[in-house]
Amino acid sequence: MYVSADLLINALAAGLLLGGFYAAVTVGVSISFGILDIVNIAHPGFIILGSYIAYIVNTRLGIDPIIAAVVLAPAFYALGALVYQVYYASFERYGQESLRGLAFFFGLLFVTEVTLILVFGVDYRYVDAPYIGPSIQIGLIDLPLRMLVPCLVALALIGALQLFLSRSFLGRAIMAVAQDQLALQLMAASPTRIKRIAFALSIATTAIAGALLIVIQPVEPSIGREYIGRVFAICVLGGLGSLPGTLIGAFLLGIVESVTSTFYGPSWAPAVAFGFLLITLAVRPAGLFGR
Amino acid sequence: MRTFTFALICVAVAAATFVAARLVGNDYVFFAGYVVLQYIVLATAWNILGGYTGYVNFGSAAFFALGAYATVFLHKAFPVVTTYFVDEPYALPIPVLIVIGAVISGIVGLGMGYLTLRLRGAFFAIATLALAVVLQTFITNWSYVGGSRGAYVIRPNDIEPIGPYIQYLFLLMLALAVLALVVARSIERSRLGLGFAAIRDDELAAEASGVPTLKLKLIATTISGALMGMAGAPFPYYIGYLQPTSAFALDYAVNSIAMPMIGGTTSWIGPLIGAILLGSLQQVATVTISSSVNLLIVGLLIVDCVIIAPTGILGLLQGRRTARDVVADPAVFSLLFAVNVIPIYFLHQEAFAARPLEIIFWAVLIFLAFARGRLIGLRWLVGLPIAGAALSMVPDPPRLIMALVLAICLVAGLVRRPRDPVARSTP
Repeated sequence: MYVSADLLINALAAGLLLGGFYAAVTVGVSISFGILDIVNIAHPGFIILGSYIAYIVNTRLGIDPIIAAVVLAPAFYALGALVYQVYYASFERYGQESLRGLAFFFGLLFVTEVTLILVFGVDYRYVDAPYIGPSIQIGLIDLPLRMLVPCLVALALIGALQLFLSRSFLGRAIMAVAQDQLALQLMAASPTRIKRIAFALSIATTAIAGALLIVIQPVEPSIGREYIGRVFAICVLGGLGSLPGTLIGAFLLGIVESVTSTFYGPSWAPAVAFGFLLITLAVRPAGLFGR
Repeated sequence: MRTFTFALICVAVAAATFVAARLVGNDYVFFAGYVVLQYIVLATAWNILGGYTGYVNFGSAAFFALGAYATVFLHKAFPVVTTYFVDEPYALPIPVLIVIGAVISGIVGLGMGYLTLRLRGAFFAIATLALAVVLQTFITNWSYVGGSRGAYVIRPNDIEPIGPYIQYLFLLMLALAVLALVVARSIERSRLGLGFAAIRDDELAAEASGVPTLKLKLIATTISGALMGMAGAPFPYYIGYLQPTSAFALDYAVNSIAMPMIGGTTSWIGPLIGAILLGSLQQVATVTISSSVNLLIVGLLIVDCVIIAPTGILGLLQGRRTARDVVADPAVFSLLFAVNVIPIYFLHQEAFAARPLEIIFWAVLIFLAFARGRLIGLRWLVGLPIAGAALSMVPDPPRLIMALVLAICLVAGLVRRPRDPVARSTP
C-alpha cells in the first residue's frame, strides 16, 4: 500500500488529538482502578450520562457544553460519593469486591445505559458550540477545533489532577491509600473517607469527559460499551495509578487507532485497541510506567 | 447420589419436559423454551469458571458466538444439496456441529486461559471483555461468514421422526442442558471441584499447599468455553439469520453472569434456578414489552441481588445474612430505593399487560422499607410502598400520589439514624 507522508502526518496529528481526549476519559479510571483498586466498569456509563446532561443543558439553555460540565461536576461528585458508600458498605467491608463488586458495577452500567435509551431513544444526539465545525491549518496539518478544544481541556484537567494529587495534602493522602491503608489508619486518618473523596473525584471527571465526548462525536447510549475496553487498555498500558503514564498510554492508543482507521478502515480500530490491551496484559501487566 | 443416578434423573426430567411441551401443542413453547434452555447451558458453563474458581468472565458472548460462527462457516463450506425431488439432508448434522463448536470454543478457552490466567481477579475480567471485542471485530471483517451484513442459515421445516425442526433443536438443547448440569455437578463433587474451591477461597494458599492452580484454571476455562460453544452451535439454525451484533450481543454476557449470581454460585442448582427464573421472566417481558426494558430488569436484578442477597436465592433460602445489615447504611438504602423506582416508572408507560412484572420491584421496595423501618424504629414505613403497590395495580393509577408516597418513604427512611449501635458499627 502506498503511504503518503501527507496522510500519515495528518493521521498522527489526529491521533494525538484523539489521545488527549482518551486521556480525559481514562483519568477517572486511573484514579478509581489504578489508585483505589475499585474496578469501576460502570465508568463509561457515567461518561455517557455526562454527555446527555451536557446535551440537555446545551439544547435547553444554550450554554457551552464544556462550561456546563464544569458547573455540573459537583453533582457528579456527590453521585460518586453515594456510589462509593454503597460499594463500601455492601462489598468492600466484607472483602467481596472481586466478584460481587464487579457484578454490581456491571449491573449499574446496564441500568444507566438502558435508562438513557428509554428516556432519549437510540437516536444520536449532538451539541452546538462555536468550535464545532471550523478547523485551523498549520502547514500540511489540518487541526479541527472540534478535536483540538477537547484535547486542550483534557490536558488541563489532567494537569490539574496531577498537581492536586502530588502537591495538596488531600492528594497525597489519596496516594497514600494506594500504598498502605493500615499505615494510614495508624496515622488516625480514615481510609474509607479518603477513598470516598477520591472515587467521587473520579466520577466528577466523567462529567467533563462526557461533555468532551459529545463535542467530538454524536452520542447514543450504547456507545459507552466501546469505551470500557479503551479506558482499561489505556489505564493498564500506562501503568496503574500513574497519571502521566495514562496520558502517554492515551496518546499511544489514539495514534495507533487513528493510523489504523486511516489506512485499514475504521472497522478494524476496536480490535487494535483491545488487542493492545490483551498484549499488555499478557506481556507486562504492570504497564509501561507501572508502580 | 451417584453421578449416574443423577444423570438418569436429569434425562427423565428432560424427557418429561419435552413430552409436556409437546402436549401444549404450540410451537411457541419450543421457541421460548429453547432460549431458556440455552441460558441454562450458558449460566452453568459460566458458573464452572466464575462460581467455582471465582474468575469473572465477561466474554461469554465470544464463546457462544464462536460456536455459532463455526456452524455458519461449516454451513457455507458444505452447502446443502437441493435436487428437484428431495432436500438432501445437511452435509453435517447439528450434533456434529455442536461437537465442533465445543472443540473450537474449548481451544479458544484454553488459549485465553494461557494468555490471561496469570492475571488475578479484575484483570482477568477485563481481558475476557477485550477478547470478546477482538473476536467480534475479526468476525465483522471476515466476509466469508457474512461480515457485518450477517449470514443466512435456512432451517428446514421438518425432520424425521420428530416433526417440526424447532422441536428437534429444542431436544438438542435439552440434551446439552442435561450434559452441562451433569458435568457441573460431577466437577463439584470431585477432587477437581475441591481444587477449584481452594482457588476461589485463597489462590495463594492453594498454590502453597500444592494445588496446581494454573492447570486447574486452564481446565476450568476449557470446559466452560466448550460448553458455551456447544450452546452457540445450533443458534444459527434457531435464528435463521446471524449477524455479529446478535451473536456477540451483550445480553449473553449479562445473562450468563446474572443468572448464576441470582441463583447462587456455589452449586450447580444455582445457575439452573437463576436461568429458569430469569429466562422465563425475560420471555414474558419480551412478549409483553420491549427488549430494552428487558435488559433494564436484568441489570437491576443484578444490582439488587449482589447487595440484598449476596449468596443468591440459594443463600437466601439458607438465611446467611440478615436483612438489617443491608439497609443499615443510608447510602445503600437510598440508592437501592431510587434505582428500583426506575423500572416501575417505565413499566407504567407500557401496556397494562406489563404491570405484573412490576411486582418484583415493588417487593424489593417493600422489603427495603420494612427492613429500614424496623432498624430506625419507624415501623409504619412499610405501609407506604405497600400502598404504592396497591395503587399501581388499578388501571389508571394516580401517578402523582404514588411518586409522593415513595418520596416520603425515602426521605422518612433517611431522617433518623439506626438506634441500634451494633448495626451501625463497621467491622
